[in-house]
This record gives sequence, structure tokens and C-alpha cells, in this order.
Amino acid sequence: MKIDLEFTLNGKNVSIETEPGKRLLDLLRKDFKLTGTKEGCSIGECGACTILLDKLAVNSCLILAGQINGSDIITIEGINEADVLHTLQQKFLEHGAVQCGFCTPGMIISAYALLLEKPDPSYEDILNALEGNLCRCTGYKQIISAVQDSAKEMMQD
Amino acid sequence: MKKEFSVVGKPVIRQDGIEKVTGKSKFADDLVFPDMLFGVMIRTDHTHAIVKSVDYSKLDTNKFVIVNADDIPGSKKVGAIVKDQPVFCNEKIVTPGDVVAMLVGEDLNELRKAAKSVKVNCEELPVLSDPLKALDENAMLIHPELGSNKIVHYPLRKGDVDKGFGESEYILEEEYSTPLIEHAYIEPECVTAFIEPNGGIKIIGSIQNPHTTRRVVASVLNYPLAKVRVVQAELGGSFGGKDDTMNILSARAAVAALKTGSPVKIKYGREESILESYKRHPYFMKYKVGFNSDGKIKAMKIDITADGGAYASLSPYVTWRSVVQATGPYEIENVHTDVTAVYTNNPYTGAMRGFGSPQPIFAQESIMDEIAIRLNKTPVEIRKINGFKSGSFTASGHKLRDHDVNLFSVLERASDESDFEAKWNENQNGKSFDLFKRFAEKSIFSSEELLVKDDEFCDENIWKNGIGLALSFRGCSLGAEGIDAAAAYFSLQTDGSAYLLSGLAENGQGLRTTFSIIAAEELGISVNDIYYLEQDTGIIADSGPTVASRSTLMGGGAVKNAAEQVRKRLEIIFREKFNLDEKEEIKFANHVVSDYLGKVKIPFKKLVTLASSKGVGLSSVGWYKGPDVYWEEKTGQGEAYFTYAYGCQVAEIKVNIITGEVYIDKITAVHDAGKIINLLGAEGQVYGGVTQGAGYGLWETVDKVEGKIRDLNFDQYLIPTCKDVGDIKPIFIEGEEKYGPWGAKSLGEPTLELGAAAIANAVRNAVGQRHRNLPINLEELILSRKLSPEDLKRGSAV
Amino acid sequence: MIHELKLAKPSSLDEVKRILSSENSKIIAGGTDIVPGFHIESVRFKNISSLIDINSIAELKEIKIIENEIQIGSAATFSSIVNSKIISENLPLLAKAASQIGSKQIRNRATIAGNFINNAPCADSIPPLLVYDAEILLESEKEKRRIPLAEFLVSSYKTKIQPNEILTKIIIPNRYMNFHGLFYKLGRRRGVAISRITFAVLVRLENEIVTDFKFASGAITPIGKRFHEIEKTIIGKRVNEIEVKLTSRNIGEEILNITGVRWSTTYKIPVLQQAVYQSIKKLLSGN
Repeated sequence: MKIDLEFTLNGKNVSIETEPGKRLLDLLRKDFKLTGTKEGCSIGECGACTILLDKLAVNSCLILAGQINGSDIITIEGINEADVLHTLQQKFLEHGAVQCGFCTPGMIISAYALLLEKPDPSYEDILNALEGNLCRCTGYKQIISAVQDSAKEMMQD
Repeated sequence: MKKEFSVVGKPVIRQDGIEKVTGKSKFADDLVFPDMLFGVMIRTDHTHAIVKSVDYSKLDTNKFVIVNADDIPGSKKVGAIVKDQPVFCNEKIVTPGDVVAMLVGEDLNELRKAAKSVKVNCEELPVLSDPLKALDENAMLIHPELGSNKIVHYPLRKGDVDKGFGESEYILEEEYSTPLIEHAYIEPECVTAFIEPNGGIKIIGSIQNPHTTRRVVASVLNYPLAKVRVVQAELGGSFGGKDDTMNILSARAAVAALKTGSPVKIKYGREESILESYKRHPYFMKYKVGFNSDGKIKAMKIDITADGGAYASLSPYVTWRSVVQATGPYEIENVHTDVTAVYTNNPYTGAMRGFGSPQPIFAQESIMDEIAIRLNKTPVEIRKINGFKSGSFTASGHKLRDHDVNLFSVLERASDESDFEAKWNENQNGKSFDLFKRFAEKSIFSSEELLVKDDEFCDENIWKNGIGLALSFRGCSLGAEGIDAAAAYFSLQTDGSAYLLSGLAENGQGLRTTFSIIAAEELGISVNDIYYLEQDTGIIADSGPTVASRSTLMGGGAVKNAAEQVRKRLEIIFREKFNLDEKEEIKFANHVVSDYLGKVKIPFKKLVTLASSKGVGLSSVGWYKGPDVYWEEKTGQGEAYFTYAYGCQVAEIKVNIITGEVYIDKITAVHDAGKIINLLGAEGQVYGGVTQGAGYGLWETVDKVEGKIRDLNFDQYLIPTCKDVGDIKPIFIEGEEKYGPWGAKSLGEPTLELGAAAIANAVRNAVGQRHRNLPINLEELILSRKLSPEDLKRGSAV
Repeated sequence: MIHELKLAKPSSLDEVKRILSSENSKIIAGGTDIVPGFHIESVRFKNISSLIDINSIAELKEIKIIENEIQIGSAATFSSIVNSKIISENLPLLAKAASQIGSKQIRNRATIAGNFINNAPCADSIPPLLVYDAEILLESEKEKRRIPLAEFLVSSYKTKIQPNEILTKIIIPNRYMNFHGLFYKLGRRRGVAISRITFAVLVRLENEIVTDFKFASGAITPIGKRFHEIEKTIIGKRVNEIEVKLTSRNIGEEILNITGVRWSTTYKIPVLQQAVYQSIKKLLSGN
């Protein structure tokens, strides 16, 4: 049995008819073709599927389509204006915080959610925000400094 | 005169960075093709069994296509060295990941349900899970047709160990083991195969080595190589892990595409990935060492058994590196090493970052510290007494010359940077914690004995500091494993922009950027002028695999050669234009070409246009071949690798002596990787490698019961998070080196291989106790052994 | 894999109760247990065909003080608990436990009732709630009942909830201003740690006399549990009369009696005793 859903996706109102038991991750990747959100473990351990749901970072593999009616969803494709990178994206590049790039969208969304909640995060806050995003390439150090540097720059703006 | 670099050695932003931070990069599962079907695997619950029959009676055959061994037109078994791995196991299961057949259909959901309706009837066979019993006379043979469970045995003989031990004042004998390790790339495996309009087959997927995949698919389809085209999608991490597994998945997808006529995608979830993919070898290592009170090691005898699991994969190469490097970077007169890889019913093992070095380094660096402690010397002193200098001979009899032997430099720098000796001496004076001793003595305890006695409760600071180091040398590239050469394609356009592609593949490490830097440096243009092409076997020559930390050295050499060819052609035009003779040095920098003193100059673009108007070819294929090496199989003697990289890591940790928690405060990583091409990328290699090394030292282990894996996802298989490793300090020492682009050597693997050993030595320094079995997890620290549910079955935890 | 099911998202509690009374439906809030359960095809969730999402019901998300009690809505997420002043000021052990559950993404979704409603041994909210003498409110279309949490938890993966009931609130007396305590958690890793050992201790010290003492175990016993007999041996004593080593050993012994010897006992029991010893010693010293 399918249901009708209406919600905001990357700033636009969207509607779709879908199965309530479908994971939000699949809805985004397959129905909306937003493949920036990745699937790494399917059980909420790796954070590659992290998206913003009503301004909070969540694992889209743990949310069912039937749960999201009326909510506001932002994915990696929705955080920057065309051709202009978001500060976090720019800083991730400058600090070498990207290697294979598979964890990167989820990592950036987690950092984005953190800076929404705490524009001037402590080192501890950053670790708390990113502990649910596994990265096997970078060892996290350059990611952490990219987030610190982003916060600094965004505070100045 | 020292060359001044304009791009090389500077921090450079990744070529593929913008796509990656915006989510636009296309990884294998992000690609969708019209009329695409999916393939889902059929497996059994067995570890070792004969397949009697497969019952498809409950399957809707109008909806699903069965693909199995009967559909394979060519080779039914594959393997890099020994062809022992069936694409579909229609006769026998030898490890739980084995796939009997595959169902192909439109809907993944329905396919997964349908796969459960297929019943595989099996006759169980006894399971061989202990590699140390694999060569017993009555051992069950995993592949009876091979006549033995021995995959390979390498001896190395230098001098006379018996004489050496006879001349030694002290003898130490210790045993070490390391666990089965999962690569844990965050992107699970995915591949799609489809038929091309010209009748060839095209594969696109999360593939580490496109040319190897092509070879395997061609042999399975019985196609000429040129009829198979393999394209690499953006790769979500590999660390050596997306080779054999991806080759087999590609072959299955290709067979299915031929049978159905449609594109067929195979996509694994995490559990299936961990279940079927190959892993890093567990090693069981016996080290015996003879030494004198002056600290000089007289003899070393090493016996290593590597668990190859059910298939040979790259075991013969992995263990070969071990035999070359097992004694570490120490000059020892008398060496007797045996390394044997064996078949078992365990998950199979193959290439993983480190490739046969992390295991012996853990053992060899642990025992070096034990020698130091026995002789009242420091770890630095004992290593200086025995370490390689210029002109030293390795265990395989290779005289080290032609390059800076920077072993002492990395050791001294790491030691100075961390104030090693003062800290080590201070911690060494602490006493060992009594409760550990009681638990280390036996493994069976009554309830009464599990209660802590009054004098065993801890009243001191529960955190103890420790510092430890590990030192290594590492043969660069493939060595005597195989032919070592690589290609690159460079094509300058008439406007000064350029295409670049090498036969080695971007696995996330940043090779596109490194290679673009090399080409940009050579021609004095900017990295942004270079457009790196898609990895495609149809465009670029086979350059061997992207392994062995060889890309910068070999691929970089080829790129430099390709850019050099074009540069030389441009130089001729420049000389002609300004009437310069051949001896005049020409400078290419900042988009300007000039004579050495800058008297005459022309913008790079203009020179390119001029050359083009004169019909000069602006494209080239570069080639770089490593110098010859040789190996004497019977004695294990020879110049195994043409050059070596040196590294030293210091771990500063603290141990919670009541719980066994270990926290890494800092790791100082000093590496001589030759010339650093991209500083940002090089530092990234260190941070990442050190963190993987920490996981190896403290948490990671794929636990299995009767060959069956228990840790199938990231809730059980624990890799480090951002909270788990403190500071990491990368330091580079750039030794002179005649090979590679401007002397660039290897870095990726050296960064990973030292961590566990340094941590183990730091734990020893903190608590006075030697842990010989990785990982040094909570139970290992407190009880000096591992615990698993198996213990109750064995009755050891009554 | 898509789990075929019906999913209702009512906006009132009455509607939830009505659905629960008329059909076999299960409540979903954060989904951080149920959805991965679907993925691994856990037997616990195998037969679910209908879910009720309670995230739209505002009253189930509230954290408030009413008279002398703190009421936490069952669908309050761990992030909201961590960020709540009411919790951090009055129930710091719960705030501490909440801050260490899962990852940020999990804490943003996982709810307090969801953490213990299935009575899994590793539910980190249990030890603090037990030492705070939490009670829970169960409501059905016809009935409301309020029972102590300790009574609600029956055995591993079993509670006293009826199929037609919803757990609506966790109610905790607001009287811990003069207590101090700690929540102890040991995991294998620092980040996103699954608990190996958890416990909570709560102490009231007045003029060097322990006038109240509470201890609850978590991930070390099959279900979270208070140790009333051992607590009694301490209450009323002067700090310098308390035999902390003996107490720690007694707790170890009692846990051994409950669990019997399991594969992990050889490690866990000695470590638990040491950790309990450190914890009680620290609390009695007034820190």
C-alpha cells in the first residue's frame, strides 16, 4: 500500500507516492536521484547516509518514508548555491579532509548541523558531532581542522 | 644545483575534490543504466560442504534468471596466482562466503526474498579452522586436487644460525599472533556489466585494479583482452581490498549480462561485503633471537605461519614480502626464516595495506624492546647498535647503497621530537600491576577467584603512561614479485590545457592530484590546467596493479616521462625561435618558458600554439620501468627491491589499569618517503595510516567460529572513530633517491605498518607487561588473552 | 529491503490509543532499534505489519516539572534530554548517560522510552533511572497505570507493557538536589561505544554520614537492577566506617550469583569490582 508524502527537500516543496516502509535513504537516492547521500552499513553505524531532518543530523537509513511527511530535509546537494561552495565544502578541500570521498557528504552534513546548533563549537563539540561518521581514509584530523576553520570563518561573516 | 620546485612539495587541493564535497561524484552504486537488472547471491549456511543439489522448485523462473557455473563459457576458476577460486561454487563450499549461484531479476527486494526460497542441499565436511593444524598429516585437504594445504613456503638462509646462537650470551624466544582484519572501506562493493554496441563487454564498478579485473573477466568469458573494457567508478576506499572480490563480482555480472542481454548490477551491503571479501592474514610467529651484552644481535630464527583461508589469492606475494623484511631493519649475521602460507576453511586473505609487513613488524619490534630491557638499554640504543647504515647488508644479502639509508635519521628525529628516552626511562621504573599477574597465570577461574582481594584493589592512579616506538624499512613497489612498469598518457591541447591519465588507479589516495602536480611541475603550468581522464582499460596500458605504495614512484615516473617527452619537443621549438644552442638550459615555470637567466621568454600558451602550427605532436605515452631485481627462491637471497623507505613511529599512550582501556595521546610519525610531491596528500596518508594502525593495535579483529564470521557490520567490527586517537604528528625526511619522480618513494603502507608495534611497546612501558597477541583490547590487557563465546564451549571459563 | 507495512502518524495521543486497541500495531519513534532490526531480519520485529509513529505528538516530547516531579515524555530524544536544563540541573546522571548514547545522529532520533521499552541489557538510560526511582505511566484507551520502572522491567527483552498500551511518561521525584553520584560506562571504544559495563551510584552525604545510597547495574546484569540489600549496609554509616572494598566485592558477588559464569565474566566481574570501588571511594570523599 502506497501513501502520499509532502515535504520540503533542499528548499523546495515536493510530493511523492511511495511505500511507507521504504527507507528515507532509498527515497532520496532512487526516487529523487540524490545520490550524494551514501549507504555504508544500513544500521546507523557509519553515518555515510547522514542528512538534515528538521535541522538535525540523522541517519537516513534508519528513517522510514512514512515518518517524514511535512518535514524539512536537506541533503549534501542542498547546502550550497550553484557554483559557489559552502564554507565547509571549501575548507574540507583546503585542509585535505577528503580522500576517497565516500564518507564526505555525511561528514559535511554532520558538521553543517553542528554549526547550525553551535556556531562556535569547542573541540569536544566537534568530536561529539562527528563520532557517528566513520572515515577509513583520513584519520579525521584534517576533517576536524576543516570544521574548526569553517566555524571561524563563518563567525566573521 | 638543487632544483627549485614551483608546485611539487606544496599543499595542493585535490583534483576530484569539488565533486566529492558536493555529492556529485559518481560511485558505482550511483550509476543507473536503462533496463538494468540486479544479481543476488545464493549461499549456504556451511563452512565446508559438498553441494549435492540445488532446489529451485519454489522459484518463479518467469521472473528470475538463474546464473551458475554452467553459464560460464571460459575459466570456471580464477585466482591471481593459483586458479583455485570458483566463480560459482557448484560442487563444494570451502568457506562461508562462497556463492553457489546467482539470481538475476528486476527488483532487488523480490530477488532477496526469492534467493531465500532456493535450497542448497549439502553434505557437511569437517572444518579446518586452525592454520597451525593445516599441514598435519591427517589434515582435511581444502583443495584435494592440489595435494596439500600448503599455499607457499619461503625459506631465507643467511650465515649459520646454530653457530650464531652458540656464540650468543643471551637467547630469547617468543611467540606472537595477529588477527584477521577487515579493510573496512566505507563503500561496499558494487559493479555493473553490460554488452557494448560493438559486442564487447564493459564493466564499471568499485574496482581497484581495472586491468586485473579485465584479465579475470576475459578469462571467464573466454574473450580476448581487448574485447573487455573495464572502467573504474569513483572508488570509495580500497586499502588493497577491491581486487580479487571485485574481479569475481565483475565476472559474475558479465556472465549474467551475456545470459540476459541486459546490464546487470551487483551491489553488496556491509554484511555481504564482510562475509565474502578477503582480509588481512592472521600470522602466527615464532621468533628466537641470540644476542650479546653489547646489544649486538648474533642470530635470528623465525618461523611464521600465515592463514591464507580458503583461497590462495595473493598469499604467495604477501608472505614473500614478509620473508624479505621479517628481521626488520637490522643487520644480522645469521638468519634462518621460514614463512608458510596455508589453506584453511577460514575467510580467505590477500592484499591489504601493509601487505605482509604489519605482522612481522609487530613481532620483531616487540622482541627488540625485550632485548633492550634485558640488557638495561633503551629501545633507541638497541636499534642503533643493530640498525642499517649505508653499506649494510639486509637479511637477503642486499647491500644498501645508491640511496640515503635514513634509518638513523628517522629514529633520531622521532626520538628527539617526542623526548622519547626521558619519558621511557621514567615510565619503565613503575611497577607492574599485581592483579594482571594472577589472571595471566591461568585461564580457568572459580567464582571465588573472580572476586578481587583487599590488597588487589587499586589505590594508585588508575591511568599509567607509556611510550613506545617501532622502526621499519620497506621495499618499495613490487620487488621481485613481478614485472614492475607503468604507463601514462599526456596530451597537451593547443590552448595549453592538458589531459592526463596513468595506468594506475585513483583509489581515494589522491593519485590524480599527485600525477597532475608532476606533469604541471615538468611543464611549468598549473595543476588546474590538467584534466585527469576516467580510468579505462580501453585507453591506457596495463601498468600493473595499484598496490605496494608504488603509484607515486612508478606511475609518477611514467607521468614525468610523458610530460618530459612533450617538454623536449617544445624545447626544440623554443631554441629554434630564439637561436639558442642545445646546451642552453630551458626553464618552464609559471606559464612562461625562458632561457635559464630569463633573457628571452615566451608565454607557455604561445609556445604551444607555435609548436602546434609547426606540426609538433603534443601527446605522448610515458613509460617507467623499475630497475631489475632478483631473488633466489631456495636460499631467500637477492636484491629483493630496488630501493627502500624508512619510518619510525612513537606512540604515547595511557593505560587504565583497572579496565584495560588504552588511549593514544599522541603518535609521532617520521617517514623518509623520498621527495614529497603533494604535502597535503602526504599528510593525509600519515593521519589515515596511523589511525588504521591504531585500530590494528587496539580494537580490530574479525572473530569467527568454525570459519563463520561474527562481526559482520560496524557495530561489531570496531574501526577508530574521531574520538579514539589523540594527536598525530607527521614529519617527513626527504632522502636523496635516484629512482622515481625527483626521488619520490613510498608512503601509504609505511604509515600503517608501525602503529600496532609502537603501541604494544608503549603498553609494555606503561604496565610492565608484554602483550604478544593483537589486538591489545580490554580482555587482552587485563587477562593476557582473548575471550570469546567459544571459551565456554572449550570449558576454559568455568 | 523494503519492509511491507502500514504506518500511521497520528497527531493525538487518543488516536494512538484507539489504534492500539483496535489492531496489532507497534509504536515507532526514533526507529533506531526497529529499522536496523528490519535490516538484519531480527526475530524481534519479524511479524510487524503496522507501525504508529508518535513523533507528531507534542506532549510525548515534553520535559517538565510538575509539583515535585519531573516528567519526561516517552518520545523525548536523547538530544533533547542532553540539552534540557531541567535534566542537567536535577538529574545529572541521566544527562550524562544520555550524552554517551550512540552518535549524534542516533541521539537526535532515539527516544528515552525506546531505549528501554524492549528491555535490552545494554540500555544506558536504565541505571540512572533506577537510582532516581523512576516510575512510568502506561496508558490504554480504557486505563492508565503508573508503576515503578524496576517493576516494569521483567526479564531480558520482556516488560509489563500490554499490546494495547503506550508508555507515555517517565516520572521521577524531584528530590536529588543534595545527592551526588555518577554514571559509569565502559565501552571498547571511546566513540559510539556499546556498553560493556554500566552502573549508576547516587549518594547523599550529611555531616560525614551517608544518609542515602543507591546503586543500580546496567549492562553487566541481564536486566538493570537495584541492589537494595547492599545499599542498606551503607545507609546510616559514617564515611570512615564504610568498607568500600567489601561493598564492591559484595556487588561483584551478587552479580555473579545472578549471571552465573558466562564467557565474558572472567573479564567483567573483576573490572566491575575495581570500577565500583573507584566510584564509591570518589563519591564518599565528597567529589
